[in-house]
Amino acid sequence: MKYHTSTLRLLLLAVSPLLTDCSMTAAKKASQPMALAETATAAPKGKGAAAAAKVGPTKAEEEVDEYAASADIYDPLQGLNRATFFINDKLYTLIFRPIAKGYNFILPRPVRKGIDNAFENAKYPVRVVNCTLQGKFKRAGQETAKFAVNTVGGVVGIFRPAEKIPSLANLPDEDTGQTLAKWGIPHGAYIVLPLLGPCSLRDTVGLAGDYALNPVNWPYLYWFGSRSKHDWIVAPPAANTLRTIPTQIDKYDTITKDAVDPYLSARSAYSQSREEAAKR
Amino acid sequence: MTLRFLLSLLILAVPFSASAQLADAQSKLKSAVAEVLSVADRTGNRSALPNSLRPVLHKHVSFETMTKRAVGPGWRQFSPAQQQQATELFSTLIIRSYSSKFTPGEHPAITYQQAVQPAEGRVDVPTNMVYKGSHYNVVYRMEQVQGWRITDVVIEGVSLIANYRSQLDSQFQRGGAEAVISSLTQSVSRPQ
Repeated sequence: MKYHTSTLRLLLLAVSPLLTDCSMTAAKKASQPMALAETATAAPKGKGAAAAAKVGPTKAEEEVDEYAASADIYDPLQGLNRATFFINDKLYTLIFRPIAKGYNFILPRPVRKGIDNAFENAKYPVRVVNCTLQGKFKRAGQETAKFAVNTVGGVVGIFRPAEKIPSLANLPDEDTGQTLAKWGIPHGAYIVLPLLGPCSLRDTVGLAGDYALNPVNWPYLYWFGSRSKHDWIVAPPAANTLRTIPTQIDKYDTITKDAVDPYLSARSAYSQSREEAAKR
Repeated sequence: MTLRFLLSLLILAVPFSASAQLADAQSKLKSAVAEVLSVADRTGNRSALPNSLRPVLHKHVSFETMTKRAVGPGWRQFSPAQQQQATELFSTLIIRSYSSKFTPGEHPAITYQQAVQPAEGRVDVPTNMVYKGSHYNVVYRMEQVQGWRITDVVIEGVSLIANYRSQLDSQFQRGGAEAVISSLTQSVSRPQ
């Protein structure tokens, strides 16, 4: 147990520089959009601003440049990130893709769906805590009702009877990263995590929060590093990881398969979807 | 008397024409989606899908507009031949990518929501899609290009065109129109 508290303290220590770094990069990021806008308008390098001015706003309007301002993310570590992205891609192909194939082959789709549903249902604390921290009390109530209906009426959430109730169907997902965003903490830098893929400094902290709030991990966190052996405690988190692999691989393929530059495609999809998630 | 009559007519007509545009675009989208689904159903074979969907999609999607937006301001530096080549390559890529999302026999349940008009001649139609038991928020962006055509699809907040814009823009910065075209050629020829 003593060991346990010290690891927690270490974790907090490790996290605190990330937080301070975020606020520093925030100032840098504030100056970024201007630089971006400059490069966007002065795209033809040699001809420069004169040409842009001559063409005038009508032509620029024609291209509808809302896409120039669409969400992108500060990426100072691009070299390192691209390297990690490359290694991840190989690991996905070598390890995860065969696992996903095997999983999908062995279990029929209704069974997979049931497993996914049950694990998503168990993630209820992640959603309700983050709804509350963001002041979305009505949503927290809806989440609670949904959890109750699916747990009781859906055999610990394997089935989703709440889908039949319009006010409970299709509630947007909530996570710790979104709470931090709501509190005004910016992404910080974009980072590609080993195995986990696209993330940012802020959302890495968010991931740690989600992990701690997910009951599936609680026995594991509780006994982590202790002498007493309970081998079964790794089973729920391991099963949870396993069941997400096929979906994650599928998402990864959708984003990268027909991309011109898979790295940029994944980065853009990440920053756009996080921006949208924070809004809802 | 006549002036007042005309004025009241004008006041009535302005919101009416806007909502008529919305309704027009939305009904066009509905018929386009229905047509795509019926063609996909008849095809059955997944590898034949890109070819059978191509004509239908060309009818309802403005690939020229899509390509122009995906390239961004650099589009002005493309010669007409380069523009045509880029459009051809980009549409092949989009059609292929779109077709790969279909599982024959699976039908999405689509709920159309109230369309909005972000600018004159443009309409966004938000929809909610249930496909294989999962919910997706999909927004179809439409523009008046010889009738209402789809110009972008935003899935769960991720715009298809904005996504390509980040990639193609960096190619353009690196080597102009030729770099954009060669990168597109490379992606199209990548084995599936």
